Amino acid sequence: MKAQFQPNPQSLLSTFIVFFIIHSIQVGIGIQGFQRIIFFEAKHDAWISVIVAGLFTHIVVMIMIKTLHLYAPTDIYGIHIEVYGKWIGKIVNSIYILYCLWLFVIVLINYIEVMQTWVFPVVPTWLFSISIVLLVIYGVNGGLRVIAGACFFSFILSIWMLGLIGFPIRFTDIHHLLPVMESNITSILKGAHKMTLTIIGFEILYVVYPFLKEREKVTKFAQLGIAGTNLLYLIVMLITITYFSPGQIENTIWPTLSLFKIVKLPFIERTEYVAVSFWLLIILPNLMLYLWAALRGVRRTFEKKTKGIIWLFSFVVILASLFFNTRSKINHFNDLFASIGFYVTFCYPFILFFLALIKKKITSLKEK
Amino acid sequence: MFFKKLFSSKSTLEHKNMDLIPETRDKMSAEFKKRLQDSADILENEIGISGMTLFSIGTLIDKNMLHRDIIDPLKDLPFDSMQKIMEHLSIGEIDQSSSMEKAVKAALDGCVIIYLEGNSTVLLAKIPSEVGRSVSYSQNESLVIGPQMAFTESIMTNITLVRNYIKNSSLCIENLQAGARTNKLVSIVYINGIASEQMVGSLRKRIQEIKIDGILDSSMLEQLLAENSLTIFPQMALTERPDRVSDWLLKGKLAVFVDGSSLAIVCPQSFMEFFQSMEDSNVNWQIATFWRLLRFIALFLSVFFTALYVASLTYHYEVIPQTLLFTLSESRAKVPFPPIVEALLLEFIMELLREAGARLPTKVGQTMGIVGGIVIGTAAVDAGFTSNILIIIISLGALGSFVTPSYTMGNVIRIIRFPLIILAGCLGFYGMMYGFCFLLLHLLRQSSLGSPYLAPFYPPRFADWKDSIIRLPLSFTNKRPDLTMAEDEYKYDPIRAKKHT
Repeated sequence: MKAQFQPNPQSLLSTFIVFFIIHSIQVGIGIQGFQRIIFFEAKHDAWISVIVAGLFTHIVVMIMIKTLHLYAPTDIYGIHIEVYGKWIGKIVNSIYILYCLWLFVIVLINYIEVMQTWVFPVVPTWLFSISIVLLVIYGVNGGLRVIAGACFFSFILSIWMLGLIGFPIRFTDIHHLLPVMESNITSILKGAHKMTLTIIGFEILYVVYPFLKEREKVTKFAQLGIAGTNLLYLIVMLITITYFSPGQIENTIWPTLSLFKIVKLPFIERTEYVAVSFWLLIILPNLMLYLWAALRGVRRTFEKKTKGIIWLFSFVVILASLFFNTRSKINHFNDLFASIGFYVTFCYPFILFFLALIKKKITSLKEK
Repeated sequence: MFFKKLFSSKSTLEHKNMDLIPETRDKMSAEFKKRLQDSADILENEIGISGMTLFSIGTLIDKNMLHRDIIDPLKDLPFDSMQKIMEHLSIGEIDQSSSMEKAVKAALDGCVIIYLEGNSTVLLAKIPSEVGRSVSYSQNESLVIGPQMAFTESIMTNITLVRNYIKNSSLCIENLQAGARTNKLVSIVYINGIASEQMVGSLRKRIQEIKIDGILDSSMLEQLLAENSLTIFPQMALTERPDRVSDWLLKGKLAVFVDGSSLAIVCPQSFMEFFQSMEDSNVNWQIATFWRLLRFIALFLSVFFTALYVASLTYHYEVIPQTLLFTLSESRAKVPFPPIVEALLLEFIMELLREAGARLPTKVGQTMGIVGGIVIGTAAVDAGFTSNILIIIISLGALGSFVTPSYTMGNVIRIIRFPLIILAGCLGFYGMMYGFCFLLLHLLRQSSLGSPYLAPFYPPRFADWKDSIIRLPLSFTNKRPDLTMAEDEYKYDPIRAKKHT
C-alpha cells in the first residue's frame, strides 16, 4: 500500500467540520459520570485536574497535527507503514483497528448500562446493542460525509441540554471550592490521568485528516474543538462540585444525570429520562466514527473491500457487549481501557512523532 | 430488461424499413394508412388540379384552419413544386421532409402532410387542434398575496407563462422526448449563465437514459429522475405556479415540463424548501419568518406529538408534572386500551376521514369533516374509547401536517408518524429517539441532483441560513443558494448596489 492517501475532491469536507467531529467524539458517555472518578483523587480541586488534562490534550493535538504534516496527505495507517515498514506496520495497524473497536464497545456498553439503570431495567442488552449497531451501520455506509453531518447535528441539537445543566446553579454553593489547591500536585495529576476515558477520542484526527479540504487550517479548528470540550467539562465539573456535597459526589455514579433530575418545567419534570434517551444522538457520532476508523484501517492496510468486514466487526462488537453486562465487569473493562488508552492517546503520539521525524531525516539524508 | 428489449427492437425496425416518401399517390396513401394501423380517423383530402393530396389525422388537427388556411388558398391552382405551395400558405409552423418516419411522427403531432405526386419531399404544416382548458386559478398552492395563475396541461402555454415572468434572452428551453411509446415532449428550462452546467448535463443525461414505455405525467417522471427511489421523501419539487418556477429558475434551479402535465418539476431541491411557500417572499420578512417558524414547529408537532403521548403514558409517566398527570389519568380512566392502541386507532380514523374527504366531491367532503370531527370524536370519548386529550393531540398533529405547503411532503409527514408511534409504544423515549436518529441519518444520506438534501444546515452554509427556517429582508440575500451551485453566485453586485442607493 501507499503511505500517502489523497481522496477524490468530491469526498473532501470543509475544514471547520473538524471542530464538530472532535467535539462530538470527545463528548460521549464519559461526561455522564467523570466527576466522581476524579473527585476520588483530587477532591474539591478536581476542576484543576480537568484544566490540566485539557491543556495536555492541546499539546497532544499539536503533536498529532505536526506528525500528520510530515507525510501529508496521509493518515495514521500510512504513517505506520512509512515508519515501521510493511510487515510491522501492518501489525501495528491491526492493533490500532482493534483499539478503535474496543473504544466502540466501551461507548456501547456504558450507554446500555445507563439505559438499563435509569430507564428500562428489564429490557435485555441484546435488543439495545443490536438496534444501535444497525443504526450505526446505516450511518457508516453513507460515508464520512454522513458521519460528519451526524456530528454536526448532534452538537447543534444537544445545545439545549446545557440549559438544563444551568438549572441547578441556583442551588450551588461556591464555598465548596475553597480552599483552592488543598490537594497536592500528585493527586491533581492523578485526577488528570483519570480524565483519560472522558477526554479520549480526538485521535480520530489521525484518520480524518486526509479528508479535510484546507489542511493548514486544521490546527485552528481542531484546537477550538478541544477547547470547546474542555470548557464544557470544566463547567460541568464546577457545577457538580458546588452543587453536591463531597459525600454525595462519592456516592453518585452519574452526577451529570442526577443534575438533570431536579429540572422542573410546567409541562415536564424528571428530565433525566429525556436526557438518557436523547444521549443516543450524542453517542451515535462516537460509535460511527470509531467503526468508520476501524474500517478505514482495514481498507488502507489490507486494501480490501469493507462491505463484508463491517458485518463481521458488528458481530464481534455485539458479542462483546453481551459479555460485559454487569456493573463490575464494565467497571473492570473501563479501568483496563483507561490505563491502556492513556498510553495510546497521550504518550504514543510523541513516540510516533519522533520516529516519523527520524525516519524523514534518514530518508532525506539518503537522498542526498 | 423488458424496456431494453423493447427499445432495441424498435431501433432495428427503423433501420430495416425503407424510409422514403412513395412516388405515387396510391402508394403514399397505402403506406400512410399502414403506418397508422388503418385508423378510422385518418383524413385524406385530394385538392386542386395537380394531384395534390393532404394526409392527416383528423382528431389531431384543427379542421377550421385546415379549410381556411390550407384548402382555400391551394384549391384551383396548379402547382409543380413544393416551393410554390409554400408561398401560398400562411401558416407559421411549416417544415419540409423527405422521410416517411418523420412525416408520420409530425402527423401524430398535429401536422398536415401536403403531398404532391412526383416529389420526393412533403410539406408538414402544423395546425394542431387546441384541446385543453384556459389558464385558471391555482387550486393546490393558492396564495392570498401574489399572482393567481396556474399551469395548464399544455406545455406551450406553460412555457409561455414562464417566459412572461422572465423576459430574458438567456432563458433556455431544451426539448427532449421520453417514453418509448408515448413520445412525450419533455422540456428542460433553465437560465443560461445562472444554472450550473454540470447539473443541466446530468439532468439531460438522466432524462435520456430513462427506459420506460410511457410517461403520462410529470409526477411520474419525477419518480424516475430521483436518485433514490427507495426513500419516502420527495427529492424534487412539483409545482403548478409559474411565479414559483420563475423564482426558482432565478435562484439557479432547473425546471422540467412534460406535455400534458400541469405540474413542473423543479430540482435540485432541499428538505427545507418543501416548507417554504411562494407567499413567504410576497409578504414582509417578519411575517414570513413567523410563518416559517410556525410551519417548522408544526412539523415537529405532527411528527412527534402523538408518539410523545404514547411514550410518556406507557413508560415515563414520571416526566409528567403531577397536576397534568391528574388531568391525564382522569380522562384516560375509562379507556380500556393501552395508549399505543388508542393512538393508532385514532390516527387511523383520522386518515380514513382525510382519505374519504379527498376522494369525495367537494360539497360532500365538507359534510364528511363535520361527521368525522363532531360525531365520531365526541362519540368515541363518550363511549370511553379514547381520552379527550388524545383527540386534541391527534387533531393538532393532523393540523400540523396540513400546514406544510407542499402536498407531497405533507403526505410523508403524516405517514412517518406511524412508525414513530409504534417505536414509542415499544421502547418509549428511546424508541422515539431511535426513530429520530434514523430519520436524521436517512435525510443526511439523501441528495437531490447531486446536492445535499439537508442544505443549508448540512453542509453548513451560514450565508444561506438567511433564507431557510427564517427569512431576512430581500436586500440581505444577494447571494444565490449554495445548493444550486449557480454559475453566477450573486443576484446583484453588493458593492455596486450600495453605491446607487
